[in-house]
Amino acid sequence: MSLGPRRPDDSAARSEQAEHAAEVVELPTATRATDIALDELELVYAFIYARVGNRADAEDLTQQVAMKAIPRLRQGAPASAIRGYLFATARSVLGAFWSTRLGLSQAELHEDLAMAVPPGPVSEEPAERVQKILNELSDNYRRVLELRFLHGYSLKEVAAEMRSTVGAVKVMQLRALRAAAKVDPDA
Amino acid sequence: MPEKPENRVERIVSDLLHGRRLKLRAGDAEEKEAITAAARFAAIRQGPQRMTPAFRHRLAQLLESAPQETWLTRRAALVAGLGVAAGALAGGVAGRSLASPRGIAYVSPSSPVLPVNGRWTDVGALSEFPDGQGKLVKAGAVGAFVFRRGESVTAVSSMCSHLPCELWWERGQSLLVCPCHPVSFTADGKPSSVTYTLPALNEVKVRVTAAARVEVLGT
Repeated sequence: MSLGPRRPDDSAARSEQAEHAAEVVELPTATRATDIALDELELVYAFIYARVGNRADAEDLTQQVAMKAIPRLRQGAPASAIRGYLFATARSVLGAFWSTRLGLSQAELHEDLAMAVPPGPVSEEPAERVQKILNELSDNYRRVLELRFLHGYSLKEVAAEMRSTVGAVKVMQLRALRAAAKVDPDA
Repeated sequence: MPEKPENRVERIVSDLLHGRRLKLRAGDAEEKEAITAAARFAAIRQGPQRMTPAFRHRLAQLLESAPQETWLTRRAALVAGLGVAAGALAGGVAGRSLASPRGIAYVSPSSPVLPVNGRWTDVGALSEFPDGQGKLVKAGAVGAFVFRRGESVTAVSSMCSHLPCELWWERGQSLLVCPCHPVSFTADGKPSSVTYTLPALNEVKVRVTAAARVEVLGT
């Protein structure tokens, strides 16, 4: 499974910062507050992206979170204090997104609404959850989802790989996704 | 004939795997579990995500702008072409805006998008525009939905008049739908809901040339 780029090693970065400590120029308060807010919004973006699966929607929703949270962010509260607020807002925005698009109720979004704040923007928690879900599926269902989503095969390529037809793969993909939705990775 | 569920879900899966926005149609809710699962699987394929530098920069600007100016600045900039038409904003859109009691700055209805040093951009032959349907075009930094009615054309901004989100054309309902919140607009840019009052979409200047080409005034 391909994973995105990782952050540079934090300890190395800290050591480099220490060497240049004397050169550090105090930034204006507004800029520092913005940087802190942006770092927190990175977590929010990753959280939202893992649930909507595309950049355009993730950017729109993250921006909505930022707009709603501006008054709180402007108070200059420490990152730890605003993180909970941002994620509560993110869950609310995500809930509205799905309920608007699909008519999902808040109750049906219990998993998202109850989820803990991820530890960082490169959290592997979503990948681990998906792997747990895949492990619970039948061989055929797991195979079609792995080929399609994790390896990026087209329907035609999946059909060739599984010695099936495009039509049959489409039906299998639908059934596999329905089955995946029923798996509780926390069980 | 209604779309088969497997085709409906495949359309959404294909969009997601190509990095496209979730475009859901009436009836898609029947497969809501499969669609939300597909979105999660698609996200995993991309790996953990970070904001692009451009988006981070936009957010920084948003955070550093004054709260009472945030909505107007962000939306007006997008409507008029991502800040390219600063002069037009100062003299046109911004000058005629009104602050609502809720703090949202409203742009007056149908203010035309008039970019500074704007130029007419060819966006295709008239025959490529289906009659009565909206087609999204870009004229430089100006996004617009062009509507053809016979031999004439009209155009409205592709940006929602409330949130800075790009609309899409919902063919079934003949409405421009905002992906960010539950509002939509008719082809002439008027909000479709009487209960959720919003300003109309900004008009975009469009014309048909003698050679039956459609041109939009953009940047």
